Amino acid sequence: MGRYSLNRRTLLRGAGAAIGLPWLEAMAAPAGGSKPPVRMAALYMPNGVHPDMWTPEGDKRDFKLSPTLSPLADLQDQLMVLTNLWNPGSVGGDGHYVKISGWLTCTTVTKTLGVDVSCNGVSMDQLAVQKTGRQTPIASMELGIAPVTTGVDKNVGYTRVYGSHISWASPTSPLARELNPQLAFERLFRAGNGQADGAKEEALLLDRVLTDAKELRQKLGGADRQRLDEYLSVVRSLEDRLERAASPEQSKWKPRVALDPAAKPTGNPKDYAEHVRLMFDIIALAFQSDSTRVATFLFGNEVSNQNFAFVDGVTGAHHSLSHHENKPDNMRQYQLINKWHIEQYGYLLRKLRDMKEGDSNVLDNSMILLGAGIRDGNKHDPHNLPVVLAGKAGGRLASGQHLSYEKDTPLSNLYVSMLDAFGAPVERFADSTGRLPGVLASS
Amino acid sequence: MRRLALSVALTLPLFAAPAKEHTFAQAQSFLKSYCVSCHQGAKPSAGFNAAKLNTLQTMMEDPRKWSRMLTRVRDNEMPPKGAPAPSLDKREAFVSYVEDTMKSAACADGISPRPALLRRLNRTEYTATMRDLLNIHINAGRGLPADGAGGEGFDNAAETLFLSPMHAEKYLEAAREALAYGAKDPKSRARFLIAEPNDKTTVDQAARKVLEAFLPRAFRRPARPDELERYVTLFANAYKKNQSYEVSILHALQGVLISPHFLFRVEEPNPGAAPRLLDGFALASRLSYFLWGTMPDEDLTKVAATGKLNDDKILAEQTIRLLKDPRTRDFAEQFVEQWLNTRELGRDIKPDPKLFPAYYDAEIQSGIRYEPILFFQELLTANLSLLNLIDSKFTIMSNKLAKHYGIKPAKPLRQQPVVVELPEGSHRGGVLGMAAVLAVSSYPNRTSPVLRGKWILDAMLGTPAPPPPAGVPPLEDKVGTAPQTLRERLERHRLNPACGVCHNRIDPLGFGLENYDVLGLWRTEDGGKAIDSKGVLPDGATFDGPDEMKKILLEKKDLLVRNLTVKLLGYSLGRGLTLEDHCSVDRIVDAVKKENYSAHTLILEIVRSVPFRYQVGTAPNIPAVPPVAKAE
Repeated sequence: MGRYSLNRRTLLRGAGAAIGLPWLEAMAAPAGGSKPPVRMAALYMPNGVHPDMWTPEGDKRDFKLSPTLSPLADLQDQLMVLTNLWNPGSVGGDGHYVKISGWLTCTTVTKTLGVDVSCNGVSMDQLAVQKTGRQTPIASMELGIAPVTTGVDKNVGYTRVYGSHISWASPTSPLARELNPQLAFERLFRAGNGQADGAKEEALLLDRVLTDAKELRQKLGGADRQRLDEYLSVVRSLEDRLERAASPEQSKWKPRVALDPAAKPTGNPKDYAEHVRLMFDIIALAFQSDSTRVATFLFGNEVSNQNFAFVDGVTGAHHSLSHHENKPDNMRQYQLINKWHIEQYGYLLRKLRDMKEGDSNVLDNSMILLGAGIRDGNKHDPHNLPVVLAGKAGGRLASGQHLSYEKDTPLSNLYVSMLDAFGAPVERFADSTGRLPGVLASS
Repeated sequence: MRRLALSVALTLPLFAAPAKEHTFAQAQSFLKSYCVSCHQGAKPSAGFNAAKLNTLQTMMEDPRKWSRMLTRVRDNEMPPKGAPAPSLDKREAFVSYVEDTMKSAACADGISPRPALLRRLNRTEYTATMRDLLNIHINAGRGLPADGAGGEGFDNAAETLFLSPMHAEKYLEAAREALAYGAKDPKSRARFLIAEPNDKTTVDQAARKVLEAFLPRAFRRPARPDELERYVTLFANAYKKNQSYEVSILHALQGVLISPHFLFRVEEPNPGAAPRLLDGFALASRLSYFLWGTMPDEDLTKVAATGKLNDDKILAEQTIRLLKDPRTRDFAEQFVEQWLNTRELGRDIKPDPKLFPAYYDAEIQSGIRYEPILFFQELLTANLSLLNLIDSKFTIMSNKLAKHYGIKPAKPLRQQPVVVELPEGSHRGGVLGMAAVLAVSSYPNRTSPVLRGKWILDAMLGTPAPPPPAGVPPLEDKVGTAPQTLRERLERHRLNPACGVCHNRIDPLGFGLENYDVLGLWRTEDGGKAIDSKGVLPDGATFDGPDEMKKILLEKKDLLVRNLTVKLLGYSLGRGLTLEDHCSVDRIVDAVKKENYSAHTLILEIVRSVPFRYQVGTAPNIPAVPPVAKAE
């Protein structure tokens, strides 16, 4: 098991307390040249998929990609398409918010307009970060395209915060997403080159305000304390990073590939498609340089009504077309939108594949999950979810298969297997009933 | 009765059957018919025993149970699919009876405030505060993540202002950059770098002078001597190392700008048991963040320091002064764009560029966006009637927007939007004639009577239709011959009683706006077919076209005013309203009606209300009848 066996973090010391993890020196990866680390990303598609165009024909290693997945043909040996998984935690509630917010947590979020927001769990990506400790300058990256949707949905009784977040560091801490590719790049760059910024001086400042915060905390009551704990936690975590950046001899972390400042992308993409690709470039750079090993991305907030008229053959908006009413023309357009998402996924996978790492490549050492919280957008149905996993996680995944399970197999079982492959093994995750057979390469 | 801390969204049904006398006995029979068969006995379903809710007393003693049950009934979640379900009328009569009874009980005790949660500045407040604190004109918060909304639907709600690790990095950088920018600008320096060391002033004296002035402004209250010393020490330590006054003072100021006392709105807790008036500084902050979205200015701070801001007359004077200041633009923008949902225009909702190229003209786009904002601001500053929101004889337009609407104003217009009297027959006036509203309730490529009807019920009147019941077949799953028009399709849809109960409320209102295309242009035909904008509402009222529909909506004006009051009170408090807050809402609405729907009365009544001015005690044993009961 080697360096993957470290498992000593106490998680969830209370709401908000687990957000900022101290940097675990003992677990930091040795500098370049050694066995590459495993990276993990989860990409979320809003509004489900055309149900009849998703599932491949055939089984195990002998399968033919479906029309929607066809843009991945050249990557077939890197893929694992998983059929008949569902997310029972997301069955009730409304058609959208419960589906997306529970996608990586496999729990049921609390119905609320805001006052008691809770996902009642931790998302799989954040659990991976918490279990392995912080090994990279950025613990995890949460990325997206659209800002959190305005307002609360009084029609169904949920705050739209739920429709815009998939990463939860604790039941009450949905993680904010970076939307601007330029700022995301700058963040990567700074994190990898912290010394240049007078990090030491700024660490002192953080120390100073921590004293203010602790003193203030004494005076406050329950809910307010929790809020200040969040503040203390995020400030401490940054302080820790700056202190290490200020004394490089203490930090064993080195970028695997240095970032080129000239590669800084625009902060103002010309359209949606370019924006998505620039964010995927960020994920690729972050993984290649080893600035972070965990990332999540939202193509759009749930219920997104992004206009897809830029795709040939499409004239309308995403959410309204997903309510296709079984009309052939709507379904045709809906499927074209789904396929467009898969093409972008392919773009990221190829980009990672083209990044060489010794005799392998970054995709070989990653697992890139893509899915949705519902299957058919017309039905808001969390059965037989569309799920595809790409990459080999350093040889730990038995890629190149279509795996079809018994009807209503928990999605959380896949996450248990993925956490294994990431080096963050758990016995159970949320409502899991075991590992998902066939996912891990037999060792 | 115990204090009710329930977060209950009161929603009175619109155009439902006239409220019949409803009694507790009827409520009991409702529970028995639809709930008790599963929710009773030793192991009631979901651990919820509805059989125990069998006396009026239980409503007073255990409001949480009632409220939990109520939410699920109102939202069509209970009874579950397959079980016998009440009609919508019955459901709504039951829900409003229980809500009213609980509210009356809460109000009878007098109003006490709820705890104000510690609240961080949201992104817009942060940006505006940095602007005023440093006198800089850059968007200091541009790198911060957007904030989600809670409570009454606003992104200033304490409950949804989360912090992610990213925030810590961004605050530190934003402070560094803003200070560096400010230090290069003489006007900005004059605001915060007010002293330099020279022959008469030592380095230490200069730093003290700067920090002494800066800390109270940044913390929005006087700074304690020990707080000052800490930042002086921070300066001194830095100075020892680098021997540069400039670098060291900016370093210390950067520390101030990441302190929780700056980033959060901290109110000194009330250690007693009884509610008390807020101190002057806390009240000043509530007032300025409400009406300006930024820190108090010098005048307001001076009044706060006298301890007299809570004096009714002085509070009213200050409120009116703030309302007449151009800084209400920020308030109008934040409030209106979230209230009317027009913030999503250009974000999730973008008119199709091929079909509606006009939207992509910069002047038209900004004219469309700012029309409702400037209109609302005009109501506030000029103290006009709130009923203008339903219909008005003016709007605010630039030259290009007027041309877009096909309006020929009496005087030529320019690029800067101004108040324009609407000519007879313009079909404009009120928010329903505004392109921003009409576009945000459309699809990118076509109008939608359902979305527009839903928008009117939800945003304007505060009476959202319940979500569709479980198990309703998707629209037109099994249609024989395909009908021709959208109207015919929706009429067919409404024939299904499960759909019709709500769509009879939603669709006619939307059809009333069919004369407006996606961008709000007036049209009399669409795709070669004449527009039919007639509608029949469930109460039998009929109209033909938007002008007549607005007359009907004017008869429902109290719904609009109540909804606006709820939204504004929630916005001003930065949280969702509780049942008790609705007692304040009732009083405010009454006062506004008495004053002919005056915009100033609405704001003044909110500012005078118990939840806005008072602070809950943190010690236990809140008295049953709080002494502030008579304050309103």
